[in-house]
Amino acid sequence: MADDVVFLGAVLALVAIGLYCASQRSMIRILLGIEMILNAGNFALVYFASSRAALGYVDPLGQSLAFMSIILGGSVIAVGLALIVNTYKHFKTLDVEKLRRLKW
Amino acid sequence: MAANILFMFSPFAVVLFGLLSERFKIAKLREVVAVLLSAFTLYSVWLIYTAVNASPTKVLIFSMGGAPPLGASFEIDMLGVYMAFSSALLGFFATVYSVSYMAHDTRLTEYYTLLSALVSGIIGVAFAGDFFTLFVFWELMGITSYTLVAFRKDRWGPIEAGFKYMVMGAVGSTMLLLGISLIYGMAGTVNFAQISSTLHGSGGSLWLMFSMLIFVVGFGVKSAIVPLHTWLPDAHPEAPSPISAMLSGILIETALYGLTRVLYITFPAADFSLLIAALAVLTMTFANVLAVLQQDIKRMLAYSSIAQMGYMLVGLASGGILGFTGLFLHVFNHSLMKGLAFLSAGSIIEGTGSRDLDKMRGVAKAMPVTSIAMFIALLGLGGVPGTAGFISKYILFGSAIGPGYWWLTVIGVLNSALSMVYYLRAMKTLVGKPSEAISGVKEAPPLMLGVTVAMATLIILFGVWPAPVISYAQSAAAALTNLSNYVRVILP
Repeated sequence: MADDVVFLGAVLALVAIGLYCASQRSMIRILLGIEMILNAGNFALVYFASSRAALGYVDPLGQSLAFMSIILGGSVIAVGLALIVNTYKHFKTLDVEKLRRLKW
Repeated sequence: MAANILFMFSPFAVVLFGLLSERFKIAKLREVVAVLLSAFTLYSVWLIYTAVNASPTKVLIFSMGGAPPLGASFEIDMLGVYMAFSSALLGFFATVYSVSYMAHDTRLTEYYTLLSALVSGIIGVAFAGDFFTLFVFWELMGITSYTLVAFRKDRWGPIEAGFKYMVMGAVGSTMLLLGISLIYGMAGTVNFAQISSTLHGSGGSLWLMFSMLIFVVGFGVKSAIVPLHTWLPDAHPEAPSPISAMLSGILIETALYGLTRVLYITFPAADFSLLIAALAVLTMTFANVLAVLQQDIKRMLAYSSIAQMGYMLVGLASGGILGFTGLFLHVFNHSLMKGLAFLSAGSIIEGTGSRDLDKMRGVAKAMPVTSIAMFIALLGLGGVPGTAGFISKYILFGSAIGPGYWWLTVIGVLNSALSMVYYLRAMKTLVGKPSEAISGVKEAPPLMLGVTVAMATLIILFGVWPAPVISYAQSAAAALTNLSNYVRVILP
């Protein structure tokens, strides 16, 4: 039980740090923030997979889900990076504060 | 039987034929292939529907890597096939419309591949029988839609809207992953049926309530529930019009379907209905007020989509067979109505060259057929009797009275009246005195016209003869509420 609290506390701390990063002005930092929240989820999955003592072994289900989510997260980040490259090419800025043409 | 889900791989065929048509300069090959494959998708979903309907348990299972509680699986019940049918139908219309609408754009191979992958992703989410499958197709749906919103990448608007949508959507899906991991930690499984038998009614522990909130946030971002809606009024107007139709017509509804399914199988209705009712009131009121202020026609339609999500949440809050019938009937009708509204708005914008309502004053003279289709869509969205929208709104708002949410009915009807303000304003603009700006505007090309006319006909048809759709929606709602049957099929 004490382990649960420590690990879930770490997961929530990662989520909080990620959300903080995602609210920054730099596009790159925003992507890093997203990656951090994603890894909080993966961390929780891996922890729960290994903490199921009743099985006597590490549950492959949680691990395979974590692998799959790492791949999917990578694809999302790739799309984000492509958008960032495009933004920089056309508008010479990576500051989201300047991306304020669309209002309401 | 497994051959029926081959349509999931149609993006690969589209990209293959697209490359062939680029390499050997065969005009229109990829368009023809894309349209044929979207028709094939519709036909396959129809075959799956007949198979589900014929099976004694009304649940079909396709699994990979072991029998359902362990392997990744599609568990297709009437509800899944209902959502799949709506999305395949709208996907077919959007693809046919794109052939003419996107003809002047470049990189069309990518466009059709992504559109076809988007439809596959949505159908995968609807069919998913466990969180693993759901998450994979959820991300497929997300990644394709981020790319399609930012498709016209040489302009400012799509890039900004696409990035905003990407960031919010990615945070939403990471929240979803966190929720999945918590549920997995508590239940030790990701299969819906097994989660339901382990957690449903097990008493609300703190972590269970926490994971429910996380699910509401995770699905709520994609389904644009206020206050998580801020990406939608940017993304929907900036995307190409067929993509706006897909996003507004079916993608946000698929997210709502995910929310409904996950909440309903994991938690007792009493836990979430008040929260959802409060979100419904917030969503529809906020969106309707902001929609009145819009000057851009697609932005107005985007806010109207958020408001319609608020109406659908009423169905989820009131629950029961009536509430879910209303919800899913409105999902289908809204996919036709909002799809038509965006497609005909796309034709008008293509004609007049502007999204500003003032600059399309009097366009009905120049584009009579498109304008009449737009009228039918807007009247349907407003819930005028004789259109499909009336029937589903009637059931939705009526369903809230039974479980004691009469105030939800009152607020819903008032909101529906308020929404007529901006629909009527748009209609008045279209038939107003023509300005010089629209001299020389011609009626849309025949293919675009054909799609809008077909959809308008369906809206009127299901407005005056709603019986088949209602019974279809009822069987979908029954599949959701009959939880014990769903569980028993997978865990005998």
